[in-house]
Amino acid sequence: MRWGMVVDLKKCVGCYSCVVACKEEHFLPPGIFWNRVLVTHKGTYPAVTKEILPTLCNHCKEAPCVKVCPTGASIRREDGIVLVDADKCVGCRYCIIACPYQQRTSFKKYTPYFKGNGYTPPEELGRQLYPLQEGTAVKCNFCLERIEEGLKTGLKPGDDPEATPACVIACAAKARYFGDLDDPESMVSRLIREKKGTPLSSEFDTEPSVYYLRY
Amino acid sequence: MISREKYEWMVKDTQQTEWVEGQGVFIVAAFFLGGISGGSYLATLYFNNLLGMFISWLLALLMGVFYLLHLTKPIRFWRMVFKPQTSWISRGLILISLFIGLVFIQLCLSYWLPGTGWEIVLKVLAGIMAFAQSIYTGFVLSYVKGIKFWNSALVPILFVICGLVGGFGILLAISLGGTYAEIEAIENILRVLLVVYAIIVTVYLLNSTYVDAVSKDSVMQLITGANAPIFWGGVVLFGIVVPIAISVTSYFAAEASAPLLITAVICEIIGGFSLRYSILKGGIYKPLIPIHS
Repeated sequence: MRWGMVVDLKKCVGCYSCVVACKEEHFLPPGIFWNRVLVTHKGTYPAVTKEILPTLCNHCKEAPCVKVCPTGASIRREDGIVLVDADKCVGCRYCIIACPYQQRTSFKKYTPYFKGNGYTPPEELGRQLYPLQEGTAVKCNFCLERIEEGLKTGLKPGDDPEATPACVIACAAKARYFGDLDDPESMVSRLIREKKGTPLSSEFDTEPSVYYLRY
Repeated sequence: MISREKYEWMVKDTQQTEWVEGQGVFIVAAFFLGGISGGSYLATLYFNNLLGMFISWLLALLMGVFYLLHLTKPIRFWRMVFKPQTSWISRGLILISLFIGLVFIQLCLSYWLPGTGWEIVLKVLAGIMAFAQSIYTGFVLSYVKGIKFWNSALVPILFVICGLVGGFGILLAISLGGTYAEIEAIENILRVLLVVYAIIVTVYLLNSTYVDAVSKDSVMQLITGANAPIFWGGVVLFGIVVPIAISVTSYFAAEASAPLLITAVICEIIGGFSLRYSILKGGIYKPLIPIHS
């Protein structure tokens, strides 16, 4: 089993729902993003096109962040999800340097969203439910908690919303798909095969688990 | 630093900041000290200078201190030895620890029991560790595929040569009270090393301009961009031009002037630090949306 995602760039409207859903799901503090939407423009007036690229950790098969980690804090699980064990992280930031997609962040310090007003009740709740360790590397975990909970109750990640990453569920344009890349009949495998999905910057030879449809 | 708006992150060339800004500056110092410590041990080993070996050992300890200062969770540093199979940082920590341990025992033997077989064995082993220590910091950078400017086989070679230049410089400084023949021998080696160093810096930068557009941007940032003062002032002027000029002057002079040689040594040390800083500062990631600025 290898969890993976497909992002249909023709469908993505750049609404940032994935960014907000991810922030909400993990109570991410200010300045920390596990999902990002990169936007730019190509061409000159009147022939201008808007380019949108949603990005997240690619959960690479040959993850450079896992290889360079000196402590073994960065691991790749059997199901393909790349995680950081915050209790083992020394904060050397080599994983952040080594990621060619720049999908890791060094979490420096908790700060409230509304400076001068302290932490709001949801922020306080987040620090209890989803605590991040200051001084460690943080990144997208493919909403592991949803997947694991879902599997325990017999749900199928990718098909059942409760067991699927929050960014996929929140996508208003239904541009994101989640599933098992090792299953040739899964939706993600079929999309990659039929619509020629490609990963980002394949020259880095990291074998990402996130594919993009650009047809 | 390249000036970028937040929305241009990874849309245009994006500079790495983790290993050069804030706490990241400590790893620049650690890389520099690793190189100069290894280089000075190799130099002092060649001339069998006990004081020089002791200084190399102190520099290695200082490198360890800077490494710890760089970590955001320094109390967990012992965990860093667990992944030597794939991590250059892990290999480096093992190498530094072995170097510090071996040199300490060797210094004790050289001071209290000189001439024993064990002393020679330890010197050979410590010499190997010294070389490994000065080269590994280059491998730490050259392993990073995302930064094409670093992803070059020339980086480890450059770091070793730079470390040797600084190492022989330190040896020269502590040998100034010694015999003329020894000073002359050190100076002769330094002249060769400085020329080799200048050639490698030039070849490395030229080669980087051909790798890809982002790597070329890194070079342009060093030569004409925001990093130019450190590169031209630190690496070229202090690290290469002044030491070579002093070395040429001392070649033609009947007797080398001590203040002049000390000036050259200080310049080499500033140059060595500037080189690491410039290379780390020049680390730029390729944009994810391929619009080249």
